[in-house]
Amino acid sequence: MAKKGNESLTTIIVAGSLCLVCSLLVSFTVVNLRERQAKNKELDMKKNILMSAGLIKAGDDVEAAFSKIDTVIVDFESGEITSEVDAKTYDQVKASSDPKMNVKIPANLDVAALSTRAKYAKVYVSRVDEKIETIILPVKGKGLWSTMYGFLALGADTNTIKGFAYYSQGETPGLGGEVDNPKWKAQWVGKKIYDANFEVLFTVNKGSVTDATANKEYKVDGLSGATITGNGVTTSMQYWFGEHGYGKLLEKVRAGEI
Amino acid sequence: MKPLRNFLDSIEHHFEKGGKLEKLYPLYEAGDTFLYTPKSVTTGNTHVRDGIDLKRTMITVAMALFPVIIMALYNTGYQANLAIANGAAVEGWRASVMTALGLGFDPQNIASNLFYGLLWFLPIFIVTQIAGGTWEMLFASVRGHEVNEGFLVTGLLFPLIVPPTIPLWQVAVGISFGVVFGKEIFGGTGRNVFNPALTARAFLFFAYPAQISGDAVWTAVDGFTGATALAQAAVGGADAIGWSWNDAFLGFIPGSMGETSTLACLVGAVWLISQGIGSWRIMLSMTFGMVVTAMLFNAIGSDSNPLFALSAKWHFVLGGYAFAMVFMATDPVSAAMTDTGRWIYGFLIGVLGTLVRVVNPAYPEGWMLAILFMNACAPLIDYFVIDANIKRREAKNG
Amino acid sequence: MKIKELLLAPVLSNNPIALGVLGVCSALAVTVQLKNVFVMCAAVTLVVAFANMGVSIIRNHVPNSVRIIVQMVIIATLVIIAEQFLKAFVYDQWKTMAVYVGLIITNCIVMGRTEAFGMKNGPVESFFDGIGNGLGYSFILIIVGFFRELFGSGAIMGFQVFELTKNGGWYQPNGMMLLPPSAFFIIGLIIWAIRQRDPSQVEEQ
Repeated sequence: MAKKGNESLTTIIVAGSLCLVCSLLVSFTVVNLRERQAKNKELDMKKNILMSAGLIKAGDDVEAAFSKIDTVIVDFESGEITSEVDAKTYDQVKASSDPKMNVKIPANLDVAALSTRAKYAKVYVSRVDEKIETIILPVKGKGLWSTMYGFLALGADTNTIKGFAYYSQGETPGLGGEVDNPKWKAQWVGKKIYDANFEVLFTVNKGSVTDATANKEYKVDGLSGATITGNGVTTSMQYWFGEHGYGKLLEKVRAGEI
Repeated sequence: MKPLRNFLDSIEHHFEKGGKLEKLYPLYEAGDTFLYTPKSVTTGNTHVRDGIDLKRTMITVAMALFPVIIMALYNTGYQANLAIANGAAVEGWRASVMTALGLGFDPQNIASNLFYGLLWFLPIFIVTQIAGGTWEMLFASVRGHEVNEGFLVTGLLFPLIVPPTIPLWQVAVGISFGVVFGKEIFGGTGRNVFNPALTARAFLFFAYPAQISGDAVWTAVDGFTGATALAQAAVGGADAIGWSWNDAFLGFIPGSMGETSTLACLVGAVWLISQGIGSWRIMLSMTFGMVVTAMLFNAIGSDSNPLFALSAKWHFVLGGYAFAMVFMATDPVSAAMTDTGRWIYGFLIGVLGTLVRVVNPAYPEGWMLAILFMNACAPLIDYFVIDANIKRREAKNG
Repeated sequence: MKIKELLLAPVLSNNPIALGVLGVCSALAVTVQLKNVFVMCAAVTLVVAFANMGVSIIRNHVPNSVRIIVQMVIIATLVIIAEQFLKAFVYDQWKTMAVYVGLIITNCIVMGRTEAFGMKNGPVESFFDGIGNGLGYSFILIIVGFFRELFGSGAIMGFQVFELTKNGGWYQPNGMMLLPPSAFFIIGLIIWAIRQRDPSQVEEQ
């Protein structure tokens, strides 16, 4: 190294050219892989949706199965289908934390402590002969440690559960984490959300559900040692299937308007 | 007795250095000293000659545990018989034994309760001794030191802090972890940072949480579910507890076998303190810490968490508090060594344990975690206490 | 001969995790499933190797005053590229590891090697030193991942070995193995075993 001035100059040259080379490398990779990544992400979401509704098994062709499903955007307020946002790109999870796209949940209705909700719901519908057969609704709830994101699939009567699964949760493995247990999720199938007056009755029981349990058609087994996670699941169901959640939409479905 | 002594002496040379069973010396030594007073005594003239040694210490603790064990047997049987009297199904080999002996399942029958409890306690105790003892023996053989009495107490404490219906293989796995990771990797008895019995319990708690902390494990009847008094308090506060304070104090509530009876633990405490083994400073300061924290929570109050309102009086008799205070926190190896340090150590256990119990929804009980955590901090506390002493003396004399 | 030593020495005798106790963060975080372990190990190995080589190539042109930041830029670039590739080709594994892939940047092994080796040696040696250290890291992670997945989920590489009780089998999975601290115990046991074999690694008292 010669003089002080020279050293500063080398420093700048080295730093500058290094940054240039590195940024070129990074942008080149990102641009070239972007499409592939987007496709992966979409495929993953489709898989989650179909798996939760029990429409595919592991290893089935996701694209083929998903092509039979319609994606619709629903306004929570009116319960009607809307074209305010593009169904292809709309992200309900992101929207719920975007001040322009969400609404505050009134404190007295906020049983699940979610505080905000997206204005529009992204709902998936599968039809047979033009008639609705399955409606798949995104639900989220607060567990003990994490927010749990999932889908719940309902039959055409908007009451019988056809399938349920969380695709993202961070509860304690072995306790609350058992929401991922296939055996536990399988119990949901065939249970009912609403009573005859369309009040939400569905709950996660304390302890196992036996033949002696009152209202057993509305209950699934409690998760042993995970009361708080279980309560979180219960309250999120109460919220999402209540008036402020998908209540309006499901009413319209029952009336045959959708 | 003479022939036995002669026999032991006659085989001793096999186990000594160079003998063909050299590796098994710890086994021989353990058997010998268990049966007879060791013949080796301290020599030289710089020793304080006191009758108290490790063995004597450990046997004193074992004696202090006696009332606790009796209550553990009685209450385990009593809770089970109570459930059976209320219509729970009677199954398994224990029931056959009980029927064969004609003891029946009457919660009013003291013998029936004690014996039925024994049938639950004994298998756990035996498995603990075999599994833990095997590890102890293994390490002693490899390291070439003697098996000492430290495990006697660990092996007694551990069965007392598990629920009666715990599967026996979990007992074996748990105590193995406790002995190896809680004690042996630090160099064996006297060098362990953590209390081995609590380490074993903590391992089970994190490894099999659904089995060991649910509501199906506390009563020794298959398929019977019932929450502990503490779990009831967590749901609805003191009013929701289905037992009276006296029941909880005497120990007639479901829970881990040895920790239900506060009274039995206190009897043990009196014995330990009178023998100079258990530190009264730790017991007192831990209680003080618990009372202060409980009162603080009482004052703050909470709409959603009923445990905030639970009084210190209830905290004292519920869950494992008394047992933890008398037998776990005072463990002379893993607790603080200095007197000032013991005050701080006990107080912080009281504060932390109450904190975990009340505030953390994931953990039903706090003492195990509080004590293990403070075990880790104990050397640090001692360091500061000694450091402060040195500084003070320097300031005074320097 | 030198290359063989560069490749093998960091596996047992100079292991970055077991002797240096570096890179423990990701060893705890990604070892629940063996599949993730392999993806992570491949990513770390390639990042160390190329970062080490990159630093080595320009080592004579880097002024001392900015050398750390230069190493950092190279490492960060490589990590971003690695993450982009994972996202594109093994999306499922990337999803479960997400932040930990980005955190390779802060993995002490990478920076430790570039500073300690890459700055002083030629590109070829540096590359192989990087691979070697990556292998050392992988060696520990694979063992940890193997036991955590086996005892925590009763499976190896997602293939069920022990039938779980919840599916009607005999094996009651060990929940602690699913929690990150269990990796500490396993790493501790590995260090114990390695030092038993080679007592020269034990620190002086």
